[in-house]
Amino acid sequence: MISYVFWGSLALSGIKEGMLVWILFLLCQVGAPALAQDLCQRDAPNGYKVRISLKTALGEDAYEWNQSEMFFFQATMAFAMRRHFQMETYNVDNIILCVQTSRVSFWFVVTSPDNTTMLIPKADVEKAVRMSRHRINNAFLLSDRTLEFLGIYPTLAAPVNPDTPPWLIVFGVVIGAVCVGIIALLISSLLQKRRKEKGMTEDGQDEEDMQVKGVENGINLDGTYNRGFTDDDRFTKL
Amino acid sequence: MGKDAARAEWDNPMQFVLACVSYAVGLGNVWRFPYLCQMHGGGGFLIPYLLMLVLLGVPLFYMELAIGQKMRLGSIGAWRAINPYLGGVGLASVVTSMYLCLYYNVINAWSFWYLFHSFQSILPWAECPVNSNLTGHVEECERATPTQYFFYRETLDISGSIEENGGIHMGQALCLLLAWMIVYLFIVKGVKSTGKVVYFTATFPYLVLIIYLIRGVTLHGSINGVKYMFTPKMEQLANPTTWINAATQIFFSLGLGFGSLIAFASYNQYNNNFEKQAIVVSMVNSSTSIFASIVTFSIYGFKATFNYESCLERVRLLLLNTFDLAEDTISLENVIHWIAELNRTHPEQFTSLGGRLETCDLEAELDTAVEGTGLAFIVYSEAIKNMPVSQLWSVLYFIMLLLLGMGSMLGNVIAVITPLSDLKFISRYMSTKTLNGLVCLFCLLLGLGFTTRSGNYWFTMFNDYGATFSLLFIVLIEVITVCYIYGIKRFEKDVEDMLGHRLNCYWKIMLAGVSPILLIALFIFYIVNYIQGGTPTYQAWNKELGKSVVTEYPPYAQAFIGLLLASSVCCIPLTALYTYCKKRNLASGKRERTVSTVSA
Repeated sequence: MISYVFWGSLALSGIKEGMLVWILFLLCQVGAPALAQDLCQRDAPNGYKVRISLKTALGEDAYEWNQSEMFFFQATMAFAMRRHFQMETYNVDNIILCVQTSRVSFWFVVTSPDNTTMLIPKADVEKAVRMSRHRINNAFLLSDRTLEFLGIYPTLAAPVNPDTPPWLIVFGVVIGAVCVGIIALLISSLLQKRRKEKGMTEDGQDEEDMQVKGVENGINLDGTYNRGFTDDDRFTKL
Repeated sequence: MGKDAARAEWDNPMQFVLACVSYAVGLGNVWRFPYLCQMHGGGGFLIPYLLMLVLLGVPLFYMELAIGQKMRLGSIGAWRAINPYLGGVGLASVVTSMYLCLYYNVINAWSFWYLFHSFQSILPWAECPVNSNLTGHVEECERATPTQYFFYRETLDISGSIEENGGIHMGQALCLLLAWMIVYLFIVKGVKSTGKVVYFTATFPYLVLIIYLIRGVTLHGSINGVKYMFTPKMEQLANPTTWINAATQIFFSLGLGFGSLIAFASYNQYNNNFEKQAIVVSMVNSSTSIFASIVTFSIYGFKATFNYESCLERVRLLLLNTFDLAEDTISLENVIHWIAELNRTHPEQFTSLGGRLETCDLEAELDTAVEGTGLAFIVYSEAIKNMPVSQLWSVLYFIMLLLLGMGSMLGNVIAVITPLSDLKFISRYMSTKTLNGLVCLFCLLLGLGFTTRSGNYWFTMFNDYGATFSLLFIVLIEVITVCYIYGIKRFEKDVEDMLGHRLNCYWKIMLAGVSPILLIALFIFYIVNYIQGGTPTYQAWNKELGKSVVTEYPPYAQAFIGLLLASSVCCIPLTALYTYCKKRNLASGKRERTVSTVSA
């Protein structure tokens, strides 16, 4: 498209203006990357360092980090900026990456879609990243720990607070069982005592009757039984 | 010396043996013996330990069983029967057992707390909780470790010192209530119920220990711990502290002097062969100690190796991130090599690392010897959280601790209840069930004091001073009474009456000669140590630093320590004095009456 402009301007405005436009065009082609380099550098004031640990996260299934993955990163960041600012104008070109290392770490800055020389401030970039952090992580099959934005701390998961703490439930079960056990033991011993007492009085009655009737060894003896030989202290033993 | 035939009895001798095993094999086998082994030269410690077992442990154990079985009474009645002036020995035992009852069940309460908290998907002591604005973890937890935080803050809610009291920790109080209810359930019907319970409390811990042994030795790095423990350092044998600690460990591990053994033996048949049983129980107790220390050290080894490898991992990541090297250049094996390499090639960048570079040392990790509640609840739970399926291992471990603790608790409570139920004025008005219930309720209410915010400091005080010194004194008086006041000849005749054969010369020499001498030596050492130690101190948990600091006891706490020591020891001379006065009054009263009848 630029070549059409060039040819058009050359035709319209003559060779001198055409030369001016041609020089400007060349400068832009050469200068744009240089300008981008100035914007994105190590320890850039409005940039963030990203560190990716693929082997830690995925082990054997780790994919290779190449230029396509870098492009993907640019796309996800552009998505994050679009989502935060609700502006459809952010594009892949607005995300500038530099200082790539074999650790897999790099720096990036975000330029404004209206003016490519102006950088989006750090705070806004942070807000955008925080908002879409989960989506960005999932895009790369990574987590907060393995895809690090140095300086942006992940919000930790809110603690789950159940209505009744689980330990109380287990405690309730155990103490209920123990209560039942104690009550059962106490009642059983109470019943045993009552049964023994009742048993004692009934036994006493039977023995009395038998002696009155004079039954001994199954032989029915007629005659009076001499009480002098009965076991008198039978009741006082216990 | 017959007691009425209505005295309860064990259903069979096995129940008695299991009760003694359940009582003797307690928490000390798990958390004190491995510590002593580590401190005093590993495998070499077994020599003084076994020697003290033969010279001190078994004879005294034998003597207590003999007394209980002969007199068929609890400690107060038994000692009063031996010599009326020395009935105070029994009373001192009861007082000491009462102190033990008060604080020992608090350990069971903690075990319950940890057990109930193990039923969660993530163990609560595995990670630090997040702070209120979700930016990081709670500060106290960051400075300490998650397991320490869980123990000191969430379990105990500990205050900064013994002076700062707080409210009762409701969770702890509930767990203590449960612990006392279970104790009551076990003893409510006397030896009838206790006899059935000890089948379980004596055998199940061994099952868990075996499971843990298998799990322990199969863990990565456990061999480091076992090797470390068993490497004997023979030069430690020259240190007198080694021998003193061996004697003390045998002494307290067997539970001598509390009156529990006398109480257990009093429910025996008159002709029960307690000689064989005494040897069996002592051997079982000692072998359990050794077995438990193998388990402990394999877990130690695992924990130390895990921490060492985590340290190496952190260093590896630090190097990778600082020098931006690819992930697979440095592995755990060549971290050390790389440190030297990078120091050589990039010196300025290396020095910028500064203090962040940790030194990882496996020996240092193994050297951190811990004993007591710190070992059981902090170190062990740290090891467990790193095991696969940690909830299962946690549940198993705390059930084992509970069984060990409950088994010992049974002995402690029976040592208090048996002499009380033998006293005529109590047995006339109360049934055994009511008496048991009242004792449990009383101990529960007083024990609630240990569940307050400063409760752990009072617990430590009771643990260190409540039973140690008084027991030595009690057992010393016991041995001297039986051998010299009652007379070794009379004792010999009683034993022959019960067993059918005379006392072996081994028992005679040990009881009359060696054991008293060793006890006197131990006693003197304790006094000297106490005086030399200066002001008694304790470990107070500092919230800001995230660790324990050594603090001195305030004056009123020191006075309380003195009271603890004096209250049980004083029973002996005071009772002797009381009996002497009563006898004199009785004698003078009789003389008066005889005079009056003659005159009339």
